[in-house]
Amino acid sequence: MQNLWDACLRRLEQELPAQQFNTWIRPLAPEPSVDANTLVLAAPNRFVLELVRERFAGRIERLAAEASGRDLGLRVVLARGAEPAAKPAQSALRGNGEVPSILERARLNREFTFDNFVTGKANQLARAAAVQVGENPGISYNPLFVYGGVGLGKTHLVQAIGNHVADARPQARIRYIHAEQYVTDVVRAYQQKSFDEFKRYYHSLDLLLIDDIQFFSNKGRTQEEFFYAFNALVEAHKQIVITCDTYPKEIAGMEERLISRFGWGLTVAIEPPELEMRVAIVLKKAEAESVQLSEEIAFFIAQHIRSNVRELEGALKKVLAFARFSGRELSLELAKEALRDILNVASRQISVEGIQKTVAEYFKLKIADMHSKKRSRNVARPRQVAMALAKDLTQMSLPEIGEAFGNRDHTTVLHACRTIATLRKQDTALNRDYLVLEQVLKG
Amino acid sequence: MEQLPLEITAAADPTFENFVPGSNAEALERVRSLAAGRLREEVIYLWGEPGSGRTHLLRAAARANPSLATADDVARLDAAGQQALFSAINAARDAHGAVLAAGDAPPAQLALRDDLKSRLAWGLVYQLRPLSDADKALHLRAEAARRGLELADEVVWYLLNRLPRDLPRLNATLDLLDRYSLSRQRHITLPLVREALASVDGETRRQ
Repeated sequence: MQNLWDACLRRLEQELPAQQFNTWIRPLAPEPSVDANTLVLAAPNRFVLELVRERFAGRIERLAAEASGRDLGLRVVLARGAEPAAKPAQSALRGNGEVPSILERARLNREFTFDNFVTGKANQLARAAAVQVGENPGISYNPLFVYGGVGLGKTHLVQAIGNHVADARPQARIRYIHAEQYVTDVVRAYQQKSFDEFKRYYHSLDLLLIDDIQFFSNKGRTQEEFFYAFNALVEAHKQIVITCDTYPKEIAGMEERLISRFGWGLTVAIEPPELEMRVAIVLKKAEAESVQLSEEIAFFIAQHIRSNVRELEGALKKVLAFARFSGRELSLELAKEALRDILNVASRQISVEGIQKTVAEYFKLKIADMHSKKRSRNVARPRQVAMALAKDLTQMSLPEIGEAFGNRDHTTVLHACRTIATLRKQDTALNRDYLVLEQVLKG
Repeated sequence: MEQLPLEITAAADPTFENFVPGSNAEALERVRSLAAGRLREEVIYLWGEPGSGRTHLLRAAARANPSLATADDVARLDAAGQQALFSAINAARDAHGAVLAAGDAPPAQLALRDDLKSRLAWGLVYQLRPLSDADKALHLRAEAARRGLELADEVVWYLLNRLPRDLPRLNATLDLLDRYSLSRQRHITLPLVREALASVDGETRRQ
């Protein structure tokens, strides 16, 4: 099978962009197969496994058939030892192959609990409703519909419901699923004609947590299946919890009958956290990492990262990682240094035109002076500053820089860079000009 | 004259050892830990301009740990690719796996799904900064030494002062000089460098 796979590899390498080939195809390894008519490929992780199954399986099958001159089946499996095996509790439903059925993947992340969910004005209503539902699933609000922007803690909250129920009622059949995964499962059930199994599974749950339902948009078949599951569960007083990036009436491409059902229970919003809550989130997260963080640093992070909780956590991680890396104590100074990239994200590609314009404005010159042959010092010096900045801030070659400054020779650029480097050591005013310009350009 | 096209070819196979860190030492160290499974965080996102070393680090990490999920140039992921990366990040967080992604802009400025962007920002984000000219000179000498070539300082600075200074193109130039000196059976001196570059210039103009 190795030779056969090598032949397929060569073809795929020619057909696919290098990035795709290296990411998806190269990591696959042929495995011994008990069946001589089946090519078995092991994928190193689920990411690769699923993508290969979805996008490349058909093509690989045809190439294998061409290369071997006979019809071959293809199986893509997870490499042994690639990832921790599914927990036993999660294998409620099993496909008939050796590959774990997609439905077998559960799952609740045990780290998401009510205890570590930081509450503030922005989410206290949603939290109260979630706790209610967690205490009395199927009785209080059905469905519970939680909506809000990305990274505000919707997933945390619904998984906390799942974990709470799982702790209180170990026998309960609980399923957390992202809407996109549900869509994929519907498609697969359709292809494999296993709708009965699919229905049986979903209709037998005690608690269904479905995340980001906006991904059902314009997926007719999925919406239909979900409609049946919804009715079956609600009728049987089983709990449904839904999250979405917007409130029910605003979801585009969703059937009216579903939208109206989403409003049957309780609809609550999660808003972006206000400053005090952001500070609390940073402190809580630091505590979870067993790190003593001063309020001053937490405040600094919370003040500068406003968009969502994930970015807040990312920023804190970056500060902690930088402290470990540099072996320094946590301090405000260190936090500022660690977050420099994040705080000055504008520092993207700087163009030589941008430099010329900025320098000309700064020294109150015309942009044309950057290209002119004038040699008077009040023009020539700023021009040299601009050239030095172009060398420091762009990857352009010196001849290219010379060309951009009125077709000058690269030796002129080199001379300008050396002159400015020397002057900056002697002339504090010029050094300051240079640093200010550099900062303006970097954003 | 025989044609010696200037090709962008890979230099040595990318490894952590032959990565010139410059001011990216922390990023290098983190990616190494991630690949070795020694990092608390599950996701690292690297961004920087072309030539700043993103792909080098990604490929070095994938080689060190083939089960690591990597995604280069995330801005080019189509809908299915974005969904796959999204699921991979979620799976990594749930099961303590690892994802290494890279792109040309910080997460917030990527033209990707919002829920994917915020997940990239959730991990450790590092901006890779291009090397200084001094670091590039170091790299050129090391790369030349690996090929068994000797590069005089004046040659190194001649190259840095005349050519685009990103690593892929500097490597391509070194490649050209390697082949040119071999085909002429001459050492790499300034006159040879001028000759080699002129031959490429002539070639480009004729095309």
